[in-house]
Amino acid sequence: MPGEVQEFVSLTPWTMIFEVVNLLIVMLILKKFLFKPVNAVLEQRQAEIGGMYQKAEDAQKEAQALKQAYDERMSGARKEADELIVAAQDSARRRGDEIVEDARDEAVQLRRRAEEDIELQKRKALREARDELADMAVDIAGKVVEREVTREDHDRLVEEFIKSAGDEP
Amino acid sequence: MSNIEISGAKILVRFGSVVITETVVNTWLIMLVIFIACRILTRGLTVRGGTKRQMVAEWIVTKVNGLVKTNMGEAFRDYPPLIAAIMALSALCSLSSMVGLYAPTSDLSTLVGWSLMVFVLITYYKIRANGFLGYLKGYTEPIVVMLPMNIVSEIATPISMAFRHFGNVASGTVVTALVYAALSALSAAVFKFLPGALASIPFFQVGLPAVLSLYFDIFSSCIQAFIFSMLTMAYVSAAAQ
Repeated sequence: MPGEVQEFVSLTPWTMIFEVVNLLIVMLILKKFLFKPVNAVLEQRQAEIGGMYQKAEDAQKEAQALKQAYDERMSGARKEADELIVAAQDSARRRGDEIVEDARDEAVQLRRRAEEDIELQKRKALREARDELADMAVDIAGKVVEREVTREDHDRLVEEFIKSAGDEP
Repeated sequence: MSNIEISGAKILVRFGSVVITETVVNTWLIMLVIFIACRILTRGLTVRGGTKRQMVAEWIVTKVNGLVKTNMGEAFRDYPPLIAAIMALSALCSLSSMVGLYAPTSDLSTLVGWSLMVFVLITYYKIRANGFLGYLKGYTEPIVVMLPMNIVSEIATPISMAFRHFGNVASGTVVTALVYAALSALSAAVFKFLPGALASIPFFQVGLPAVLSLYFDIFSSCIQAFIFSMLTMAYVSAAAQ
């Protein structure tokens, strides 16, 4: 009868069945409306965090590689610069040596030419002087002998004269 | 002495042999509360999280998942909802006495039903692990003489689970009712010199029952829910080995 009250300690099969069914329904409610969505969110978050870690690791690796490449290039550039400087110094020294050498050669040549010139001039002057002297001698001789001196005589005389003149400087 | 009446659940509806008692109807109310709580907690879940609601939902799920994982192992990955259902239903049924409802867990039928369900699970896993013959043979171990002992111990498992829970909740009800009656009688004896209706006010009922309620209603309710679910996990996972 409705309104009837059960004993304090009593077993009612229908209540037992209802309560087991109720428990199973609560289990389904919790599974569908609490555990499934929350687990999904948690898993998604886990995946996202994993992805983030992966991305961070990749970025770090990339940065490391970039830095290494930069360092390598830097040290390469420094070496190249050193080489350039050394090469420039070498070539400058060589060039300087060449210039000095050239100058020396030129100076030697100039001197030789000057010496030749001097020799030439000297010889020329000597010849002119000889010619003039010969003429003078012919004139003088002509005057002395009062006769025309032949050319052969003349040349012999001049030769003698020069010899004597050359002997007494 | 005042008339102390300690009784079971009221029968609300009866269709032929089907009886619907206060126990069942109150459980339905609590199920509704659980359903609404689930809907509220999981509204607007985001991967980033951040809302307090979501933090609570995640805390519950993570805790129960962890509890099942440590107590039962990876093989029982489907169990968290059942364990959470036992915890929530048991605790809320016991706590419902605080708002004046008849606690469904102070009805022995509820607990016997639940522990029979656990018994079925235990038996299912034992048979699955050892085969039906192996399961029967388990009763004669270590020696055949132990057969009656083993049967008793097997049956004792659900009975002890049911009565432990029932006893804790029901005793709370009984003790509270007795204390109320005693305090009422004490008040009547001490304050009978007061004029008229004042003498019938049970002044002593203020204070002490609140402390008792703290223990019986809140502490005991939660502890029994926890114990029942822990025992379920322990028995079921042990049966599978």
